[in-house]
Amino acid sequence: MSHEKREVTVTIDGREVTAIEGEMLHDAARKGDVEIPVFCYEPKLGAPVGACRMCLVEIEGIPKLQTSCSTPVRDGMVVHTRTDQVKKAQNAVVEFLLVNHPLDCPVCDKGGECPLQDITQGWGPGKSRVIDEKRHFEKPIELSPLVAIDRERCILCYRCVRFSQEVSEDAQLQLLERGDRTYVGTFDDRPYVSPFHGNITDLCPVGALTNYTYRFRARPWDIEQAGSVCTLCPSQCNVSFTVRDEKVKRVLARENPGVDDGWICDRGRYGFEMFAAAERVTEPRTKGGTKVSYEDAIARAAAGLAARDGKVAAIVGDASNEEGFLVQGIVRGALHSPHLDSRPAAGPGIDAILDLARPELQATVTDIDDADVILVLGTDPLQSSPILDLRIRKAIRRSGARLAVATERPTALDGGAEAIARYAPGQASYFIGALTAAVASGAENVATPLAESLRDAGKIVIVWGERLGASATNELLGLARALDVDGPKTGLSDGFSAHQQVGLLEVPEVANARGLREAGVLPDAGPGLAALAVNGYGTEAIREALIDRSLDGLILVGVDPLRDFADTSRWEEAINAASFVVCFSTFATATAAKADVLFPLETHAEKDGTVTHPDGRLQRVRPAAGRPGDIRPGWQTLANLSLALGHDTGVTSQPTAFAALTAAVPFYASITESNIGGRGIRWQETESGASVPDAGIASADARSRRVSGESTPASGTSTAAPGAATDSPDTQRDSASAEAVAAPGAPELTLGTYRDLWAGPITELNPPLKFLKPSQRLELSPEDAERLELAPGDPVRVSQGDKSIDATVTVHERIPAGVCFLAEGIAGANANALLNGHQVNVQIEKRSEVPA
Amino acid sequence: MSEQSFYRQAGSYLDSIDVVEVQRGPEPGGLGGAYRAFGETLRGLKTTMSRLIEGPLTIQYPEEKTPVYPRFRGRHKLHRFEDTGLEKCVGCSLCAAACPADCIRVVAAENIPGERVSSGERYAAVYEINLSRCIFCGYCEIACPFDAITMGHDYEMADYDRTDLIFTKEMLLAEPIERTPLKSEGEDVKGAL
Repeated sequence: MSHEKREVTVTIDGREVTAIEGEMLHDAARKGDVEIPVFCYEPKLGAPVGACRMCLVEIEGIPKLQTSCSTPVRDGMVVHTRTDQVKKAQNAVVEFLLVNHPLDCPVCDKGGECPLQDITQGWGPGKSRVIDEKRHFEKPIELSPLVAIDRERCILCYRCVRFSQEVSEDAQLQLLERGDRTYVGTFDDRPYVSPFHGNITDLCPVGALTNYTYRFRARPWDIEQAGSVCTLCPSQCNVSFTVRDEKVKRVLARENPGVDDGWICDRGRYGFEMFAAAERVTEPRTKGGTKVSYEDAIARAAAGLAARDGKVAAIVGDASNEEGFLVQGIVRGALHSPHLDSRPAAGPGIDAILDLARPELQATVTDIDDADVILVLGTDPLQSSPILDLRIRKAIRRSGARLAVATERPTALDGGAEAIARYAPGQASYFIGALTAAVASGAENVATPLAESLRDAGKIVIVWGERLGASATNELLGLARALDVDGPKTGLSDGFSAHQQVGLLEVPEVANARGLREAGVLPDAGPGLAALAVNGYGTEAIREALIDRSLDGLILVGVDPLRDFADTSRWEEAINAASFVVCFSTFATATAAKADVLFPLETHAEKDGTVTHPDGRLQRVRPAAGRPGDIRPGWQTLANLSLALGHDTGVTSQPTAFAALTAAVPFYASITESNIGGRGIRWQETESGASVPDAGIASADARSRRVSGESTPASGTSTAAPGAATDSPDTQRDSASAEAVAAPGAPELTLGTYRDLWAGPITELNPPLKFLKPSQRLELSPEDAERLELAPGDPVRVSQGDKSIDATVTVHERIPAGVCFLAEGIAGANANALLNGHQVNVQIEKRSEVPA
Repeated sequence: MSEQSFYRQAGSYLDSIDVVEVQRGPEPGGLGGAYRAFGETLRGLKTTMSRLIEGPLTIQYPEEKTPVYPRFRGRHKLHRFEDTGLEKCVGCSLCAAACPADCIRVVAAENIPGERVSSGERYAAVYEINLSRCIFCGYCEIACPFDAITMGHDYEMADYDRTDLIFTKEMLLAEPIERTPLKSEGEDVKGAL
């Protein structure tokens, strides 16, 4: 799409301002340092509505005052913002807005950071003539369990309503009644439920919408704002922590167009109270929970690990780049073991990772904005990377992007999709293979409708999930090649336009997945994705090796395999089999309880370090709040542990840790803490970005063969351990098998799992979010529900082999027959217990008793 | 060069820049000199003599206390509504914002129906004034939108421990011990503060 923009010149208050044609007068005025007060105008919310009338200006040639927020600039326009007529109008508008405003500023949480206060001070008449009774509403009322609404304070600017209608698209907030009785509310006074609804408290220009979590906690002059990055999911939204007395009191969005567009999800906004949870690990412990000093713990850990004679593996999850780098230094340098991984399941081999890291194949978050087609493949952004969901909705709504969705489970984005394809769990690679064939040769198969929507698109962004697994990721590269005219694609027969370009954007499983991979936390690549002489075991191979005693010691950093990894019982077996476990954990989890030495981890409000966004943007997590208890920085503990094991990393501070990282990763070489700054920097855009290693030719060859329809065995992890499971399905199935996974009448259903946005410590340890704690629900298609004689709400037992979990039935129309879905990571009924790395079929039986 | 001649010479220039001529005392020497030497000294001595006749004025503090003016700014007081007994303070922190010495700390909380502490939605769960930092400027009193805090008359706040000088809400709300006599209307007490 072309966006040709002509420049025009307007005169505002005697200043010549160069603006872009079509830009609103308010924005043009801001460029010329002329401030026009606004309440309702917010470009992020889409088209202006001109509701508050605060931005009235005088334009020469137009007899009446115009709203500058909704008047586009025209060449030669002469505008006045300070004439008597404008001042009179501004005074009148402020006075009018204050007619019903209760002026309870001393009580109101917004007091001190309130646009209404500021504008009244700056543009108001300074006097009130109101002698009449103001309108009254019951106050404060729960708009949701997290947001309080005070309707007396509302000035009816429409911002929250527009957010609900046009940004999060949940359409729950409405303006009800008419005239001075108008109020913001939901249908039938139901609570406003949306994973993004906290943003309305940021948008509200008065104190009408306030957070219960920040209710009366502090005043603007009591607090400090500290910018950081939220690492609760791979979106890595920029946030600003409100800190009082060394504790986080509130989380605000910090606008970074390249990452989050100024929104954050409720997980990031309200998740902060778990930082102070009683379950937080605040000091090193030994097995049984005995508290020990750091020195003692490091000595014990070093002695224990050294005694394992190199038979040690490490799995890293929630960690910064520096921490990941130091862990790989400990494992490879100090313990001389090649076994470490940062992925919860077997991932693609290093060749595919290198292909995916190619800068020209990398889509950025902003690429979504002007994409012609967005293909969401194997992930539900709402559950895995919520802010991408808003970004995709924005692209569809604002710039007319088309959306194609291909997933196992219905996604939140289905409603806006032009083409939707469902494949059975475990069949992703076959589906993508079929899609590639349909794209490359026009083959008729299940993926043809999806391929049709990719036709004639100029710019395609594929948002894909790491959950796809190893073989599907390899297929994905084939698809990208088939779509990308610059790739080694031949024999393309039908109408893909010549300027077509394709970019991939990953939604990984852990927040800093990309950074950890690039820091060398991979079984088959060192720092900078460099090839290794000896490849180690991946996550699942490590588990098997622990069980058969070929590995003996285990280092776990920020992971909870007993909750988050597939086949939890086998993980329990593996961790029990390990004779020495060192665990770094934020919370006292089931895994942490099994550790011989347990070290605390910092949260993202306390940590100092860098993380890498899935699109390659390095960002800095900066310490905002004080570390509770005796917690020391992660880099310090790891550097000391490394030193105790006789491997001197030279790391003595966070900057030296970062320097060690950039020295080891060639394509991070020109990144410094100063050029990361507040907005981050994509390594692909730096001088050193070109030094990413090339992928092996052989693998590219293998993939191009697959594009042409030949089937080759999926290449999983490069090293298979004894008994290790790869995610390649056991049996070759027809690539068109999406609907024919389980024949109707079969006793079993294929199990698909998904990661629920609210599963885990975020709702379990966080008092304000406890009400969102999900219970296990078995999602069934209407056909299967009828066949199994199950109704929504029925308690069932879902079993696979000798393992079973309890769930409640929900019926979902968009689920294909033969498939059912369970959520991962739910305490007490974790779907991971049923998984085994292969495609899983489950039996469902109705329970008579209602779950407690 | 004498000043006059300087002015004369610079006259035309100085006229143009509008200089105000300084009023000076008599020149040294002559009658003026004599007045300077004795007149002013005698005038001062007159005050000394009159005090000498008056006898010693020692206030037997602490047995005897100096009354203060009504607007004297002593230790702070927090107030309650007389009718309902609720605290006037709603914990808005404006006093803390106004305080130039940064000696006020307010932590607000929400009123629970049935256990109402203040008249508004919020109340001050913690209200502390560090009197060892306070400079008694009275800005808190001016900032308060509910007249919840006023400056009292008590100036006897010496203590043995700095931490004892952090006055909590309960201490500030408590009926202040009226240790300090207040100067009555029109009274002019010698040595009044």
